[in-house]
Amino acid sequence: MAYSELIKNFDRIRGYMRDFYVYGFKSREEYDRKSARSYDDERRRIESWLGEYMGFRQTPEGKNVFITIDSRSLRHNPLYKAWKAKSFTDGDITIHFILFDILHDPSVRLTAGEITRIMDEEYLAGFSVPRVFDESTIRKKLKEYVGEGLLESEKTGKCVRYRRSGGVLPSCVDALHFYSEAAPCGVIGSFLLDKAGPHQEHFAFKHHYITQALDSDILCRLFLIMRERRAAEIENLSRRAKHPGTLRILPLRVFISVQNGRQYLMAWLFSEKRIMTLRLDYILSVKPLEVQEDFSFRRAELDRVQKHMWGVAARSKASLEHVEFVVRYREDEQYIYNRLQREKRCGTVEKLDDYSCRFSAEVYDINEMLPWIRTFLCRITDLHFSDQVLEEKFRRDLKAMYAMYGVGGGPQ
Amino acid sequence: MIFHEIYSAYYNAVAGILSRLLSGNVSPEDIGRIIREQAFSESAMAIEAAIREERWQLFHKDGSTALRYAPSMPLTTLQKAWLKAVSLDPRIRLFDLPLEGLEDVEPLFTPEDYYVFDKYGDGDPFEDESYIRTFRLILDAIKNRYPLCLGMENKKGLVSQFCVLPEYLEYSEKDDKFRLITSGNRRVETVNLGRIVSCRRFRGEFPIWCGERKKCVRQVTLEIQDRRNALERVMLHFSHFEKEAEKAGDDLYRVTIRYEQSDETEIVIRVLSFGPMVRVLRPESFVSLVRERLEQQMSCGL
Repeated sequence: MAYSELIKNFDRIRGYMRDFYVYGFKSREEYDRKSARSYDDERRRIESWLGEYMGFRQTPEGKNVFITIDSRSLRHNPLYKAWKAKSFTDGDITIHFILFDILHDPSVRLTAGEITRIMDEEYLAGFSVPRVFDESTIRKKLKEYVGEGLLESEKTGKCVRYRRSGGVLPSCVDALHFYSEAAPCGVIGSFLLDKAGPHQEHFAFKHHYITQALDSDILCRLFLIMRERRAAEIENLSRRAKHPGTLRILPLRVFISVQNGRQYLMAWLFSEKRIMTLRLDYILSVKPLEVQEDFSFRRAELDRVQKHMWGVAARSKASLEHVEFVVRYREDEQYIYNRLQREKRCGTVEKLDDYSCRFSAEVYDINEMLPWIRTFLCRITDLHFSDQVLEEKFRRDLKAMYAMYGVGGGPQ
Repeated sequence: MIFHEIYSAYYNAVAGILSRLLSGNVSPEDIGRIIREQAFSESAMAIEAAIREERWQLFHKDGSTALRYAPSMPLTTLQKAWLKAVSLDPRIRLFDLPLEGLEDVEPLFTPEDYYVFDKYGDGDPFEDESYIRTFRLILDAIKNRYPLCLGMENKKGLVSQFCVLPEYLEYSEKDDKFRLITSGNRRVETVNLGRIVSCRRFRGEFPIWCGERKKCVRQVTLEIQDRRNALERVMLHFSHFEKEAEKAGDDLYRVTIRYEQSDETEIVIRVLSFGPMVRVLRPESFVSLVRERLEQQMSCGL
């Protein structure tokens, strides 16, 4: 099949874009999951969408392709472009524009037959080889658009009439711009912005993790399932398993990180009767199942557990672990106390004197806290974990860091 | 769902060409420009061929169209549901977003459906009336290019006044704060909105400073031992920077990150957070910053 920059299926490009953007050190040969031609086509497509952000490096293993972006310099997430590259047929686009020209105002109400006739006689007849759309094709498109909310149908007896839906594009482009980057499923805001025409951009974004864009469809489906309080069947990859597995779950809440860009689904796992955490970028597909009466009960359980979650580890039946450490600071470093206050999450901060304070927390998993605790290195004077193994791990890592940098006369 | 041709760049480009055509003549240059603006770098060839060959029967060979109205598409259910969802966000009051017609729409999500678990706890007071007034005035000044006189409280509680030309607003999801990026004042480049105590339009002759601020970009090269999933964690964590990565050996990778000098302390502590899985290779000045912290830590007796 001839190459096209448009695609029918998003799954494959989702993986390539993530690899090019997040990693960017793999050569063509290392993309062994697809054929070489498939790699070339996907690379060319991504180059067509994101050319200005693509980089190339020649290595002994071959040419490496990567996407490199300083997201602070952006006004719009460029990865959204992939969502705007859906392929379509010549008939799809022809019908689309003629249909909305015929149904130009919500007051125009017509049947599928009437629309087909007007399309033939008033729009297509003027072409040298006019396209012919039969009524069933038009009816199928009308039904699809009713499903998308673009059209409304009214049944009178046996006669079904269609008209365009109401609702206008909000005039506040600033709000659309801001939320298209800062809200979940922001790509939908980007679709709205596309319709707003040329506009000035007044917002930039720092600490902006744009890869979340690639999981927009999964996230959107999960939100819809949660709204309807349904169970779901998901196809999921795990880091350890080679092949995707299928799980039956009750989606409860999405956890979003603004410090590493990951998104997680907290869900009730029916088979093991526990709350589990799933990474959205590892979810391949989502299928809604039946409505669950105990949704509120399970979500309340998550609320209870959430009070002792530092990150996303939710062991509802495990006992809590205690963590505490003391930091010292100089008179001109009072911002350290403020920093602890704003970053403490479920923990508490207690001032010991003018130059030191203690952080403590009861959490399900201390392991999740280790990276954060390390950000206070240079001022930790005391540290205790109820989990002795983890405390030892922390101290061992610290010694390894001393050795790594030749601190205290150790090896470098 | 989201991946649908009704949202596609090609549909947007065709809508743009038809709108232009219906409002007068459209030249081949106009078509090319609209496609470049709305679609992708290789789209012109595909779209122009489809029009020329009458595969998309919207344009006649003589450059006319049988369509009568500028193309417009109603909002989809998904778009309405997303708009309704953002209307529930506390930051929405900063904007004047009219939401008529969404009264009966179910939101795509509510604040109960998601949780940003690592956002800092001292975000800006988005629902405070004074903050909202300041935000709106700043946004208006950015759009209409007029200077502002800002009052800021310092650590000692004293208020200092200064005038700036607002350029744009920068939002950090991690800090949950807006910063105003300014020009025209040599001493002030960035202002935290949460610290502004007064804001008014500056009337009079504004002594604009026309000097150029040099953005000081630095880079650091890290070596990653891919243990405990460190490679993925590091690459995702630093993914919002310009960076380059290479494989340096079995389970060993090198990544070079470019950052602004003003963010250096933040980068140092972010590197430290990865523990012994990440080692700073260069520059020596950055290595010293890490070493200094570790020496201080050792002196704490841990």
